[in-house]
Amino acid sequence: MDNKKSNQEIDRRDFFKKAAASVTAIAGTSLISSNARADDPAIMNNVPWGQKWGDPVTKNRYGMPSKYEHNVLRRNTKLLASGNFRASIAVTPIQESMGIITPNGLFFSRSHGGVAHVDPSMYRLMIHGLVEKPIVLTLEQLKRYPSVTRTHFIECPANGGQEWRGPQFNSVQFAKGFMSCAEWTGVYLKTILADLGLDPKAQWMLAEGSDNSEMGRSIPIDKVLDDAMIVWGQNGEALRPEQGYPVRILLPGWEGNLCVKWLKRLEFSAEPWYAKEETSKYTALTPSGKAIQHFYANEVNSTVTSPSPEIDWTSLKDGDIVEIQGLAWSGMGTITGVDISFDGGRNYVEAKLKGLVLPKSWTRWSYMHTYKKGEKLILASRAMDDAGYIQPTIDQEVGLVGVECVYHRNAVETWEVTKSGKINHVEIRTMKEVKDA
Amino acid sequence: MLKFNKKLMLSASTAAALAVLTAGCMGGSPSTSDTTTEVNGKATIDGGSTYPVVNNKTSDYYVNPQVAKDAPKIYNGRVPTANELAAWDKDIMPDGTGLPEGSGTADEGSDIYDAKCVSCHGDFGSGGGGYPALSKGNAYDLQKTLTNNRWKDPDADGPVRVFGSYWPQASTLFWYIKDGMPHPFSKSLTDDEVYSLVAYILSINEMKIDGVEVDDDYVLNRDKFLKIKMPNRDGFIPKIDGPHGLDNVRAFYANPTNFGAQNLKKGAVRCMTNCQKESARTIYIKNGGIKDFLPPMSDVRDLPAEKKVAVNAAAIYADTCKMCHGNGVGPALGSKSDWAPYVAEGMDTLYKKGIHGTDAGMPAKGGASLSDADFKTVVDYLINGK
Repeated sequence: MDNKKSNQEIDRRDFFKKAAASVTAIAGTSLISSNARADDPAIMNNVPWGQKWGDPVTKNRYGMPSKYEHNVLRRNTKLLASGNFRASIAVTPIQESMGIITPNGLFFSRSHGGVAHVDPSMYRLMIHGLVEKPIVLTLEQLKRYPSVTRTHFIECPANGGQEWRGPQFNSVQFAKGFMSCAEWTGVYLKTILADLGLDPKAQWMLAEGSDNSEMGRSIPIDKVLDDAMIVWGQNGEALRPEQGYPVRILLPGWEGNLCVKWLKRLEFSAEPWYAKEETSKYTALTPSGKAIQHFYANEVNSTVTSPSPEIDWTSLKDGDIVEIQGLAWSGMGTITGVDISFDGGRNYVEAKLKGLVLPKSWTRWSYMHTYKKGEKLILASRAMDDAGYIQPTIDQEVGLVGVECVYHRNAVETWEVTKSGKINHVEIRTMKEVKDA
Repeated sequence: MLKFNKKLMLSASTAAALAVLTAGCMGGSPSTSDTTTEVNGKATIDGGSTYPVVNNKTSDYYVNPQVAKDAPKIYNGRVPTANELAAWDKDIMPDGTGLPEGSGTADEGSDIYDAKCVSCHGDFGSGGGGYPALSKGNAYDLQKTLTNNRWKDPDADGPVRVFGSYWPQASTLFWYIKDGMPHPFSKSLTDDEVYSLVAYILSINEMKIDGVEVDDDYVLNRDKFLKIKMPNRDGFIPKIDGPHGLDNVRAFYANPTNFGAQNLKKGAVRCMTNCQKESARTIYIKNGGIKDFLPPMSDVRDLPAEKKVAVNAAAIYADTCKMCHGNGVGPALGSKSDWAPYVAEGMDTLYKKGIHGTDAGMPAKGGASLSDADFKTVVDYLINGK
């Protein structure tokens, strides 16, 4: 043991010497002086996990996150807690998310009658109505169709919907976390329909769940024959019960509410259904008194996730280089660019897209920033997609649809960076009726 | 680099994908020496690749050529029986499709409501406990509130969006009560009970059918139900019914101003300077905002204080000690003769050896994460066998 330690010390001294030499060569100053600071106990002392047996492989047959990650959780609030948390939502800690995949245990959870637990041996999917050959499939039969695996986000269209009349949540988890992104495995619905003889009169499809609320929505045939998927896989494993185990429908980019979970029935018809959620909720009331019904695609959107009210800059020192990171997404296409603003969306510069840029998927973006201690900023991000859409300002959006829509708010989001590096959710807008866009 | 080439090879397998490629969607080959690459004319980092959507189709990523070419038609299931179809096809449409025969009065509905619904939906459907209100008064009057917009004063009267004032179709109400109510035990009401409840909900919304007010004694049946005209029947855009329903939907979403979106006209340059209105200012969260987050917001990684629980010596023996002490490698569980030489050295020495481990092969505390006191409990268990 002693022997080992002294070896380490020699290595370390050697490394310091070299590092100091190179730093001196560049900057003319020595950053590292081994006597100037106290030695770090995290380095100097043996640590408990370094000397004792760890867990045997027989522990945790299904692995769990480190116990230290105990605050990385889905959260809810009483404002959105109808039905003793059975017609409710728990939102994703997007401030903690990495890359473009949400771990299954953190994927946002929304149900209208609680999370159902479906016995897969009793699972049946029925497809009928305006088709020549109706069909009943077991889970095993369904999985025999040729599968595809696609990365798509699912977003509740009420994401950001509490803030039409002003900011309410000082939190990116609650302001923008009504969404998650996963790699889904399933079959394109059009693959199953190829042999069912779809009647040309079929304009609409009802998707209905088997949960106690029998959540149902009418889906236009255009989407059914485009990229609608029947999915059973989520990030390499079976769907979680919260996501509709064993089977849900996935309409890439469209309202999460349309992606019916615990799917039991698809019916084709010439007329739409007027199911409960597509009439009483999930409609957007405009100032004319008319409400937009059958609101489908989640519009292009983005947010800064770091910094955010949860991840502030109070520990940064003057001159620190920090990566401003965020997510961008569009239910209408692929993200083509993200701009970042430091003055609340008055002026923009281009940020960089990071990693895979997939259609109707979370896209991560990045901007390297040199922090000036005490600087006051208002950070904003603005995304564009290849359908030609760009995020509106708040004034542009409410100028067109008012402040009572509840759903589909995608105006530019802003974070105030205070002098001390704290982050506050603010909105940049005109607080009176805006008529022109 | 390797990954990118593979993608190119895959793409080349279909003509359609080639067309996408030649359209320049994949952009230039990313350089491995540079962290910044140009894809689709955009700067990306970290190996960024763009999969575009062209003409509303998601390019080669979207196609499964295996399905299209080799297996155009598959039928893996069976045809449902007539009874199976009837059992599951329970939806109710505005034209009366699926609406069963039956009848009930608002008075009967009131009794069922008080027994099964009031605990969540409140007296006379006034709401409460986070559940939706079913009425806020006269449906025809309240329908007029739908033009209210709380632009400035959040305490101003907003639009009232309850069944009577907002919903376009009554069929939705019947269907949802039959399928989803009561929430903790759905699909338990008879058709007559649902007619009664619908009559009651119409009555508390002060609604009329064919000019006749739905009062306590009003007998609602299928014929009368189909005559209900909701006050806000025409309050929704686009118009989705009829043979042109989908055309209306397509036309509606072709115009961004209809739904509050901003589309850059082809060739238009996006705003990069002075992009906010002069009148726009910074609006802060009022009164602290909404903070009742469950669990409370925190990014702390420290472990919460552990609750002290009595050590389960038998379980620790089974998990940790048994592989040696149960296989003749160390003194056996409860064996007086095995343990005698160690006990003879004195318990302090025995414990000490166990805690720190021995050259003879005993790992410190047997490899378990235990306090010294808990470890001693386990040692006592090993010696005594209980």
